[in-house]
Amino acid sequence: MSGRRIVITSGKGGVGKTTTTANLGAALALRGHKVVLIDTDIGLRNLDLVLGVEKRIVFDLVEVVEGRCQLRQALIRDKRFESLFLLPAAQTRDKTAVSEEQMDALVGDVAAIADFVMIDCPAGIEHGFRNAIAGAREALLVTTPEVSAIRDADRVVGKLRDRGLPIKLLINRVRPEMVRAGEMMSVDDVTEILGVEAIGIVPDDEEVIDTTNRGEPIVLDENNRLATIYGKIARRLEGQDVPLTDLDPPKFLSRLLTMWR
Amino acid sequence: MRALETTPVPEVEAEAEAAPVILGRAIVITSGKGGVGKTTTTANVGTALAALGKRVALVDADVGLRNLDIVLGLENRVKFHVLDVIEGKAELDDALVRDKRSENLYLLAAAQSREKEDVEADAMRDLIEQLRKRFDFVLIDCPAGIETGFTNAVAGAGHAIVVCTPEVSAVRDADRVVGLLPNTWQPELIVNRVRPALVRKGKMLSVDDVNAILRLPLLGVIPDEPSVIVSTNRGEPIALDQTSATGGAYRAIAAKLAGIAVETPPVPVEKPAGMFAKLGAFFGGR
Repeated sequence: MSGRRIVITSGKGGVGKTTTTANLGAALALRGHKVVLIDTDIGLRNLDLVLGVEKRIVFDLVEVVEGRCQLRQALIRDKRFESLFLLPAAQTRDKTAVSEEQMDALVGDVAAIADFVMIDCPAGIEHGFRNAIAGAREALLVTTPEVSAIRDADRVVGKLRDRGLPIKLLINRVRPEMVRAGEMMSVDDVTEILGVEAIGIVPDDEEVIDTTNRGEPIVLDENNRLATIYGKIARRLEGQDVPLTDLDPPKFLSRLLTMWR
Repeated sequence: MRALETTPVPEVEAEAEAAPVILGRAIVITSGKGGVGKTTTTANVGTALAALGKRVALVDADVGLRNLDIVLGLENRVKFHVLDVIEGKAELDDALVRDKRSENLYLLAAAQSREKEDVEADAMRDLIEQLRKRFDFVLIDCPAGIETGFTNAVAGAGHAIVVCTPEVSAVRDADRVVGLLPNTWQPELIVNRVRPALVRKGKMLSVDDVNAILRLPLLGVIPDEPSVIVSTNRGEPIALDQTSATGGAYRAIAAKLAGIAVETPPVPVEKPAGMFAKLGAFFGGR
């Protein structure tokens, strides 16, 4: 078996890579897939906090790469989702502790025992970014409808295309009322600028801050509208044809469009 | 008549003999975690300092992923960048972009099509030193993360402002960054994107919760307002909006930095039950 190897990346920090990795991973696990989440943000790990498993970490990614433990010893099983696992990043090392070749080999080993390997990429486009994409075979680009996030995403699209990675786009923290008021870019604006097909649109929800702080992925609450949305994105990742939620906003922000021409 | 002066950049008075040059303060704005508001803070504190009559240079240290030019609305005026100056391809005067609104405020943009590894820490230190001779404040906008870009951004600075949001992941990353800063520094804290209503409901960490972990002098608290997104997208710093609470918070921070006595805006102090337990347990081991 060789599972899908998907990197979740963005360029800009704080747009929701880690939250997306946790929730989409959990949604895929709920659909019966075996999912391993890999935190590649060595030195600034957070995926363990978002999943609420920070106290159960014994070994980390760097120790696996250095052969100081077995892969299966470092994997932490999520108690709420039977088929969801985390491979945590090292916190007291730096990103140069692992090479691109080592990361590619590691992700290959993980893919041998999983249906989906979701690689949570650090912010920026430095060594940590190059490591995270080295092991991936496809990319999920996360952005928010903000000028700075989109500019950074655009830069990352170029780097992913150089590697020949197919890219899907997730637009996070959309506020439909702001889009309607012409104060936020629409989904169409964003996909037009980036030239990447959207696989998901996630509305802004203040509940996410709380659930993240508590280490409880929002997909645990099956009545939450975001749980439904992540479930749909999971189905689209599987290859199912599930229509996107249409916010149908007016066109806006010509300033931005001129910037990329 | 200052507004009509044609000198592009504030110059140091030609010193007679060996009159000592008073160097400005170089402050790095950093956070560890991305997306907590470093660039917005840099733009707004800089704008507010300039409005107080201070000469301010803003340096974007996020090589490859620059954004400070957008937040200031100066993206079409950038001709040269930090690396052009360092590599001798442009004079500092030609690379400094004057703000549209303030004659005291200048931007030195980052290179967009280069890598952070192209910059040497020593070269960055020299550049900041040059700027300190000409400006009262040099604010350095640090990239996210703790890699080369972070090291370079910190290299020329003598002081740090740590920006954090009331989220456990941001607090953890900020704590890590404080540990990586020179241990003779006393970094100051800005808690950004606080929503008092959520804090009261126990759904957001309070400023006290955040600072119980970080234990830094509190420079300011910035309330969360959707209008910040709009002002950022439009390239108009909210610090200039006299009606905005967020703008007021940035102006108060600038006044503090400039040594002007101000009343600190009210801070939500309620302790949400339960949440601190997680934070405390998590950080308790040290």
